[in-house]
Amino acid sequence: MTTTERPIVLPGDTIPPHLIPSSTTKPLRLGPGLRHVPPSDIVPVVAGQLITNHQKNSMWVEYNNNRYLPTPGDLIIAQITRSGPDFYYCLLSPYTPHATLPHLSFESATKKTRPQLLPGSLVYARVILANKHMDPEIECVSQSTGKSDGLGELKGGMVFDVSLQFARRLLMSRSREEGKVEVLELLGEEGLAFEIAVGRNGKIWVGGEDVKVVVAVGRALRETDEAGLGVEEQRRLVRRLVKGMK
Amino acid sequence: MTTSNPTLAIPGQLLGSTSKYQPGPGTHIHNHNVHASLMGTVHIAQPAKAPGPVKRLTKITPAPAPAELPTISVAVPTRSAGPDHASQKKREVLPEVGNVVLCRVIRITPRQAVVAILVCGDTVLDAEWQGLIRVQDVRATEKDRVKIYESFRPGDIVRAEVISLGDQANYYLSTARNELGVILATSEAGNAMHPVSWKEYRDSETGLTELRKVAKPY
Repeated sequence: MTTTERPIVLPGDTIPPHLIPSSTTKPLRLGPGLRHVPPSDIVPVVAGQLITNHQKNSMWVEYNNNRYLPTPGDLIIAQITRSGPDFYYCLLSPYTPHATLPHLSFESATKKTRPQLLPGSLVYARVILANKHMDPEIECVSQSTGKSDGLGELKGGMVFDVSLQFARRLLMSRSREEGKVEVLELLGEEGLAFEIAVGRNGKIWVGGEDVKVVVAVGRALRETDEAGLGVEEQRRLVRRLVKGMK
Repeated sequence: MTTSNPTLAIPGQLLGSTSKYQPGPGTHIHNHNVHASLMGTVHIAQPAKAPGPVKRLTKITPAPAPAELPTISVAVPTRSAGPDHASQKKREVLPEVGNVVLCRVIRITPRQAVVAILVCGDTVLDAEWQGLIRVQDVRATEKDRVKIYESFRPGDIVRAEVISLGDQANYYLSTARNELGVILATSEAGNAMHPVSWKEYRDSETGLTELRKVAKPY
């Protein structure tokens, strides 16, 4: 039964041993939400669904919380609040310390040809440094290759707030099967022209020429997230919205 | 009229004239008078006995040389020493350039580590002085590729050398030698760690390693 394979766990629960993947070749990898208490205890620290992957010999907890904690490697949407001597100071989530974005951390930027970002503008960036002792640092260009890979300033459009879990489901490589979210694909199939940037910090930027399209896409995302719609319901929602636009 | 020497002094109090006394620690000169700078007890140290006057027929002997005047000083009485005046010569120890100090890391930012200097040489300091270890002073090699998060963490005890007296707020310290760096570190799990190489500490209980700039043990 699928429910027993993915049980809901609470912080401090004991995990039944038959759920822990045991493989003699690969070491067990613990993902977010689990903590190893030596010598042999694995304890969940958040409330959520316990997922195990027997091929990769890993396990983690899928949980939804409202506070985004920066992790190195995450793609996020940040808003610039002010400019310092060498950095832009950006906000990833409200009421948190500012993240720093170096002025030259854009594709082919030099001191003379760097983009001048005004306070209030949005950037799609990657977190490079995040720990509990220091303010996070983000970048808009990959350190090793020097290419931006889609990162950089987001011009125009509108930002919508969604829950963290929804953003994670959208960013999954197989969002249709694993994340059960295909609202974006459906909207594209209906012929709407728009651009999307999904930030792991719970923000989705929708850009496009037609304001009606942008608003419709945003509403579709918000309703899918808030109402927890399944795939069939998403289809109906999209059809309703497109009909309302015409 | 002779005024008796005061035994207790408050800052600013007139102690005597510069023609009669030489200023010592805890005093200063103002308008040819010696005034107290601290609040404490007044001590007069008699000078070493000057050699006997040499009789010269033609030389005009000058006024007594400054070395022959008694030295007047004000000392703050310490709690430990009782009314024993001879031991009250303790002065505050301050870190000087070149001293090796022990300090605790308070805060880290990408460009510097803020530390509190606890021990200077062999003396434990009464007051904690704040110091800065800049990112270019952490190591001697590859200074531009240093990451503070991989060198220090808040709470570490670091052996460092004072390189500059700095400005009003901070001393400037450096750990750019093999025997300078982190000497005591606590892991994320809260356990004591032991060093395994010049850049790693290992937690004794969990076995996980953490990166630090490790000081070479003597």
